[in-house]
Amino acid sequence: MRGRAAGETEDLHHAAARPLPLEPQARRRRWERPGPRGQSATRRDGYLPYAMIAPLVVFIGALAIYPTVLTVVEAFFHIDPLSPPDHFVGFGNFSAVFSNPQVRQSFANTGWYVLFGVALTVCLGTGIGLLLQRPFRGRGVILAIVVLPWALPGVVEGVIWSWIYNPTFGVVNSVLKSLHLIGQYQLFIGTRQVESILLIALVQAWQITPLAALIVLAALQSIPDELYESASVDGASWHRTVRSVTIPLIRPALAIATVEALVMSLNIFDQVYVLNANATTASSIMSTTYFITFQNLNFGQGYALSLLATVATVLLSVGVVKVLYRKVEYR
Amino acid sequence: MGIAAGALLGAISLAAGGGPVSASASAAAGRHDKANVTINVAIAYPAPPKSMLEAFTAKTGIKVNYSYIQWDNLQTKIAAAAEAHTYFADVADVDWSKVGEYYSTKWFLPLNKYFDLPSLRAQYPQIDSFIRNGQLLGMPSDASLLVTTVNTKDFAAAGIKKMPTTLAEYTADLKALKQKGVVSTPLDIPLAAAEGLSTYWYEVTAAYGGQVLSSTYEPQFTSPGSAGYKAMQWIVSAYKTGLVPKGNLTLEDYQGFSGEAQNRTASVFSDYSGDIGTIYDVPSSSKVVGDVAYIPTPGLRGTAPNLANPDGIGIPALARHVQAAVTFIKWYDEPANQAAFAGANGPSKVISGFPLPANVAGLEALVKSNKVPGAAELAQLAEHHSRAIFPAGAPPWYPAFSNAVYTNIHSAAAGQESVASAIKAIAAQVASLRG
Repeated sequence: MRGRAAGETEDLHHAAARPLPLEPQARRRRWERPGPRGQSATRRDGYLPYAMIAPLVVFIGALAIYPTVLTVVEAFFHIDPLSPPDHFVGFGNFSAVFSNPQVRQSFANTGWYVLFGVALTVCLGTGIGLLLQRPFRGRGVILAIVVLPWALPGVVEGVIWSWIYNPTFGVVNSVLKSLHLIGQYQLFIGTRQVESILLIALVQAWQITPLAALIVLAALQSIPDELYESASVDGASWHRTVRSVTIPLIRPALAIATVEALVMSLNIFDQVYVLNANATTASSIMSTTYFITFQNLNFGQGYALSLLATVATVLLSVGVVKVLYRKVEYR
Repeated sequence: MGIAAGALLGAISLAAGGGPVSASASAAAGRHDKANVTINVAIAYPAPPKSMLEAFTAKTGIKVNYSYIQWDNLQTKIAAAAEAHTYFADVADVDWSKVGEYYSTKWFLPLNKYFDLPSLRAQYPQIDSFIRNGQLLGMPSDASLLVTTVNTKDFAAAGIKKMPTTLAEYTADLKALKQKGVVSTPLDIPLAAAEGLSTYWYEVTAAYGGQVLSSTYEPQFTSPGSAGYKAMQWIVSAYKTGLVPKGNLTLEDYQGFSGEAQNRTASVFSDYSGDIGTIYDVPSSSKVVGDVAYIPTPGLRGTAPNLANPDGIGIPALARHVQAAVTFIKWYDEPANQAAFAGANGPSKVISGFPLPANVAGLEALVKSNKVPGAAELAQLAEHHSRAIFPAGAPPWYPAFSNAVYTNIHSAAAGQESVASAIKAIAAQVASLRG
C-alpha cells in the first residue's frame, strides 16, 4: 500500500536522524551529576522548564492578563477624564451602553458581520483547501498567492477595497457595467445596511480565508490515502467522498477555522473604519468601542463594551467547539 | 488602563521612539534640561525639511525625534497615553477643537509662563482658539482657514463670467455647471462620518449668517429658520440632487478634495487654505494646475466669514524636556520658518499640506516671496475675515458633539434619516453633554 510504504520511508529517515543512545554511565554523568550544594541535577533541572517559559508568562501576563483584569474591574467604574473623579457605578456602564442606540445598532451589525464572515471564510477556506489537496504543477505558487492577503494589514486591505468599490471609478462598477448588469455606476457601501456589511465582511474574509484554507489543508493532508482508495473501491462519487470521508475527518480543523473566523468577525475594526468611517450603517462593536473610548473619552463605558465583546467571543467560541469539534484519530 | 489603551501604548512607544515611563520617572528625568537632549515631537504634519531640523540642532543642541502621525490617530494616541499617565512626547499636536478638552483634563501644560500672551495677540490672528479661561494651551502652528475654491476654467466653460458672491448665486452656478455638462458633479463635500464633515457644516452655517452653538454652548440650529438647519438642508440637498459625487458618502476630507484635483468636481465650498499650492497646483497629482482659485466665500447676502481651523502645538503634562520643548515650539513658530514651511523659500523647504503661517510676520514674508499662488488673498482672509468656530472656544465635550454632528449629517445624506431627525438627534446630544 502506498500509504504504508510512505510511512516506512518516514520511519527510516527518523531513525537515521535520531542520535545514538548514550551509554548508561554517560547518561548518569550527564543528568545526575551532583550540584554544588549537594542537590541532584535532576531536581535542579526540574526548574528549567519553568525558567524557559517564564519570559512567555511575563509577556502574556503583562500584555493580556493584567489589562484584562483591569478592564474587568474598571468596567464597573465611572472613568471619564472630562467629568472626574472616577467612582464605582456597579452595572451603570452596562446599562448606559445598552441604552445607547448606536451601541445597539453596532450589536446588530456585528451579528451580520459574524454571519457573513464565518460563512464566507469557512466555505471559501474549505473550498480552497480541497482544490489544493492533491499535488499539481504550480500548486506552490498558487498557495503563495492565496496566502498573500493574510500578510497584508487590515487598513491596507480597506484602502485597496475602497478603490475596488469606488462608485466613480471602481473596478466592480466597471466590470458590472461592461457586462451590462448595471446601467450606471452604483454606490455599494454607505446606504443599505446589510449590503454594506456584506461587502465589508467580504474584505475581511479575503484577509482571513488563507488561514482557514491552510488549517483545512493541513487536516486534509493528514487523511490516509487508504480511506479514499476504499471509498473509490466502494464506488463513492467525489461528492459522497467529501461528505462521508473528508468532512468528518477534518471536523477539528473546521472547528478551529470557524472559531478563528468568529473571533475575527466579532472584532472587526480596520475594514469598517477605512471603508465606512464612523457611520452607524455598518458600525461594529469594536468601532463603536473605539469611538466611545477614545473620541468621547468615556473610558468606563469603553471598558464595559470591551468586556461584553470578550465574553461574547468566549461563549460563542466555546459553543462552536462543542458543536463542531470531534476528536479524530488514525490507528 | 484597558486592553485597547494597553495595546495602543505599544504603538505609542514605538512611534515616539522610547519606552513608556511613569509620571514620577518622567518628573525625575530632568524636565528642564535643554541642551544635548533628544525630544520626541508628534505632529499631524510631515516633518520640516531635514536641513532645517539639523540647523535647529546645531544651534540649540536639541535633537528632534520627529513622528508624523495622521490627525485622527494622533488624537487617539494622546488620549491613550494621558489616560494611562504615561509619557508620550515632549511636543504634540493641540488642535483648536481639543483646547476645551485639554483644559478640563489638564493633559497639556499651560504655556503662559513661556510666552507673553498680550504681545502674541497682535501677531497671531487665531490665538484665541488656543486660550481657555486665560490659559494658553497650545501655540498656533499654522493659520488654517475654511475657504472656498473654484475651478475658474470650468466656471468659464459654463458661461459664468462673474464669480458668485452669494450662496444663491453659488448654488445656481453649480447647477449650471452640471446642466451644461461641464462637470457632472461639480461640488465636493466629504460626506464620510468624520470630522471633515462637521467643519464643512460649521462653515456653511457661517455662510448662512449663524453659528452652531452660542457662547454658552446652547444649540442654535434647531429651528427650521436657523442658519445651521438651512446649512444642513443645503448639504443634504446638494448630495441628493447629484451636485456631489455619489462616492463622497464614504470619502473623508483628505481624500475627498482630490476630486477637484482630478477635475471630477469644480468647487469646494469649505476647502482648506493652502490646498491650491499643495494639492491643485502640484503637477504630479493634479489635472487642474493653474485653474483653481480662492474666492471670497459666498454668504447669504455677500461675503461670509472664513472659520478658523488652526492647528497648534503644545507640551503634554508628562513631557520629559519642557524647556527644550519650548525652544522647539519657538523655533517652529519663527516667522521665517513659518513662511518657509508654506513655500516662501521654494519647494525644498515646504512641509507638504502646510496651509499658512500662523503669525502676521510669517504671512507677510510669504506674500513678499511671491512664490505661492493666492497667498496675498489668503493672508487678507486670515487677518481680516477669520472667525473662531465657537465664540467661547471649543467646548470640552467637542469630540462627542462632533461625533453626533457628522454621524447624523452622514445618515441624512445617505437617506437613513431626515434633516429634521438629524437636527433633533444632534440637539439631544448637546443637551446630554451640557448636563
